[in-house]
Amino acid sequence: MKIELKHLEDLALGSVFLATGGGGDPYVPRLITEQAVKQFGPVEIIQPDDVSDDAYVVAIGAVGAPTVSLELLPSIDEAANTLRAFEQQVGRQIDAVASFEIGGGNSLIPIAAAAGRGIPVIDGDGMGRALPEAQMMSYAIAGVKPTPAVALDYDGNITAFSTKTTEVYERHIRSLAIAAGGMITTAEHPMSGLELKRSIIPGTLSFSIKLGQTLRENRGSARDMLEPLQTLFSDSIYGECRLIFAGKITDKATRIVGGYDIGEAVIEAFSSDEKPLKVSIKNEYLLARQGDKVVASVPDLIVIVDYETSAPINAERLRYGQRVAVFAVGCPDFYRSENALKVVAPRCFGFDIDYVPLEQI
Amino acid sequence: MRIGIDVGGTHTDAVILQGDKVLASTKALTSADVISGITNALDVILDDSGIAQSEIETVMIGTTQFTNAIIERRELAQIAAVRIGLPSGNGLPPMLDWPQDLKDALDSETHMLHGGYLYDGWSLADIDDAEVERMIQSMLKSGVKNIAIASAFSPINAEPEKQVASKILEAIPNAKITLSHSFGRLGLMERENAAILNTTLLPFADKVVSSFLGALKKRQLHCPVYVSQNDGTLMSADFVRSYPALTFASGPTNSLRGAYKLTGLKDAVVVDIGGTTSDIGVLQNGFPRESNVIIKIGGVRTNFRMPDILAIGLGGGSIVSADGSSIGPQSVGHRLVTEGLVFGGETLTTTDILVASGNADIGDKSKITHIAPETISNAQATLHTMLDSNIDMMKPGGKPMPVILVGGGAVLVTDGLQAVSNIHRPEHAGVANAIGAAIAQIGGEAEQMVSYRTLPRKEAIKQVTQIAVQRAIDAGADAKTLRTVDIEETPVPYMDESSTCIRVKVIGELTASISATANNNSEALV
Repeated sequence: MKIELKHLEDLALGSVFLATGGGGDPYVPRLITEQAVKQFGPVEIIQPDDVSDDAYVVAIGAVGAPTVSLELLPSIDEAANTLRAFEQQVGRQIDAVASFEIGGGNSLIPIAAAAGRGIPVIDGDGMGRALPEAQMMSYAIAGVKPTPAVALDYDGNITAFSTKTTEVYERHIRSLAIAAGGMITTAEHPMSGLELKRSIIPGTLSFSIKLGQTLRENRGSARDMLEPLQTLFSDSIYGECRLIFAGKITDKATRIVGGYDIGEAVIEAFSSDEKPLKVSIKNEYLLARQGDKVVASVPDLIVIVDYETSAPINAERLRYGQRVAVFAVGCPDFYRSENALKVVAPRCFGFDIDYVPLEQI
Repeated sequence: MRIGIDVGGTHTDAVILQGDKVLASTKALTSADVISGITNALDVILDDSGIAQSEIETVMIGTTQFTNAIIERRELAQIAAVRIGLPSGNGLPPMLDWPQDLKDALDSETHMLHGGYLYDGWSLADIDDAEVERMIQSMLKSGVKNIAIASAFSPINAEPEKQVASKILEAIPNAKITLSHSFGRLGLMERENAAILNTTLLPFADKVVSSFLGALKKRQLHCPVYVSQNDGTLMSADFVRSYPALTFASGPTNSLRGAYKLTGLKDAVVVDIGGTTSDIGVLQNGFPRESNVIIKIGGVRTNFRMPDILAIGLGGGSIVSADGSSIGPQSVGHRLVTEGLVFGGETLTTTDILVASGNADIGDKSKITHIAPETISNAQATLHTMLDSNIDMMKPGGKPMPVILVGGGAVLVTDGLQAVSNIHRPEHAGVANAIGAAIAQIGGEAEQMVSYRTLPRKEAIKQVTQIAVQRAIDAGADAKTLRTVDIEETPVPYMDESSTCIRVKVIGELTASISATANNNSEALV
């Protein structure tokens, strides 16, 4: 299968749903990827199982503040040049690229990179959603080291990283992004085909395209969207999909702590006898509670959509008075392993509760 | 005393206000030349009220002429769009995502130059004089005169835009230039789009403003003239010659502001029921609640803030199913007067149901005696349920709220609504837009991205407020009356903890002494 121009709009839409409120608006990444595919042609997409064990793969994407990229626009060859800089740094050719985060704009950047560099993109990513920190990536959880890594800024300045831990890599890469105008592209987490197979969340790229298509073709009330979504999710690595609430945002307060947008949104039911739903935010929607009862929690996906159109709403754009519906979706099994829950369970985000899988609530 | 005029695509409405009191109002047809529509409306209200021209202190005009020109792709001038931001954005030229027919209508050329700034004030790249010179040569060749310039982070530092503009003006002295930073907000592509749409309307704006002033002069109205903007504030008529795009959303804004003035209700839901749709908006503290989604004008993404309006397919011409269980969104629209049953037509509409229910006497009642009583009661229940559930969704809280009904279709609402505490049907509701224009004040707005680490919060807000104040004064405000109505601080995620977007809005009264033609064109441009 090839990723063509016509797939990118659906991919972008699906990626906002999977971003669970984070990930940034994929509009500009979509435009630049469209230009890259127009100029360099469609991109071959390969299944992780079809990658040879000794192939050399890197994850690629943009790091920084999505707000900044609304002014400091990406360039058509930025992602491909990041790969070239990486190859020069390690002295080895890359066989394929993967996304580190399917949620938001970074679902598209690997396609722009693959198009410009003339190599395939792998069907899968390192999160199956959006998550705020590098150590939460499936690659990191499975033991893949983030470095050697290379970052490129808007002017083509190259910075190479060789760090001892994923946490230190995360700190350094964020600092560089701030110093380099707020947005950089990085090639990181180099791995063999064998490592890729045990660390990637498979199938999410083609799934996001299908998800976007479903949202587009059934555009309308969230209640009518539930059935097509359940059909789609039940036949995927995600499984369960529930419509957990519908109502109006009556309060939303966030503040920035350590670079993260932290806060809470309160949603009151249209018919006011139901208890309001409280959604906790740390860039992404992480926890949904009704009174003391947890309705859904990270690493399962919590998605807030516009009630009338079912268009997913980014946390930055969520505000008082909006009419919304809230979906909860089970996360891929990878994130329910003991190893993964060490870094993505609710406690890792400061919530004093145990993780209970969506299906058991 | 003030005159408010609303020049729409179909109707030109006018009112005379003395304080809060409507002395006279009228609805006339908009004429092709705009002028005679206005003079006709003026004749009626001056005549009805018996007010002398000399007693009129100001005239306020609201208009959808410029929005319609963009939507209908007419009266659009040839333009050049200049982006300053390379090496960033290479491969993403201006107008990339515009509808092709609009691009064609503009006969556009685009240029990309090195330059601009980063969020923290660091230079993105130096301006390349040779590159600028090559661009000017190409402009001289194509003969383009209307030019939009946008540079990266120009709301923080507009020098690159100004620098390139002055070079262009040296070579093309009669060029008309729009600089994107005058449209404030962050978001380069959206701000640039606003500047391009503005630029392509500049010759038409000249024509329209001259028509407005000409019509008033014909009726011996020599007082200052203002035009209403998107946010319900005013700009002097001559300012519109440079910034026509600032009128894009003034229609719905004036309608909501007029509803506020007619009822005095600061917090209410406003339902404007027309022939095809009901537009539901919300008044918060007397001003429209703004939508926070990207607003498209004629298919182009812009950074304008527009009122949050929920449009549902329910109006006086909406088609009713045979059993009355469903209404709209299809409508016979303006053909109601021939296709509705009471007018001898063959389509069952909401107007027929209204007449059949005995709540109105329109058309020929004998044509609807065959409608079953269940159909009538079903259709009435359907109509009220549709409005109820949609009003409920627009309300900011769970409690019932007052609703103001305006528009010709307001008569369709015959029963109470559950989501509503009180239904208000103000007199003169048909000319709410003209009233909204007449009561507008002068405002100014500015937005900047700052770091509280380098600039203390208090200082930063003061700095942004000063820019907003200067904009308000430029637009014709009396500096002494200006007050800050809104300070919005949005933290910027993934950056250092003190990075924040500050937006400040100030509003004040009109300068009493300002002359309608006192503003100089070229001053407003660069």
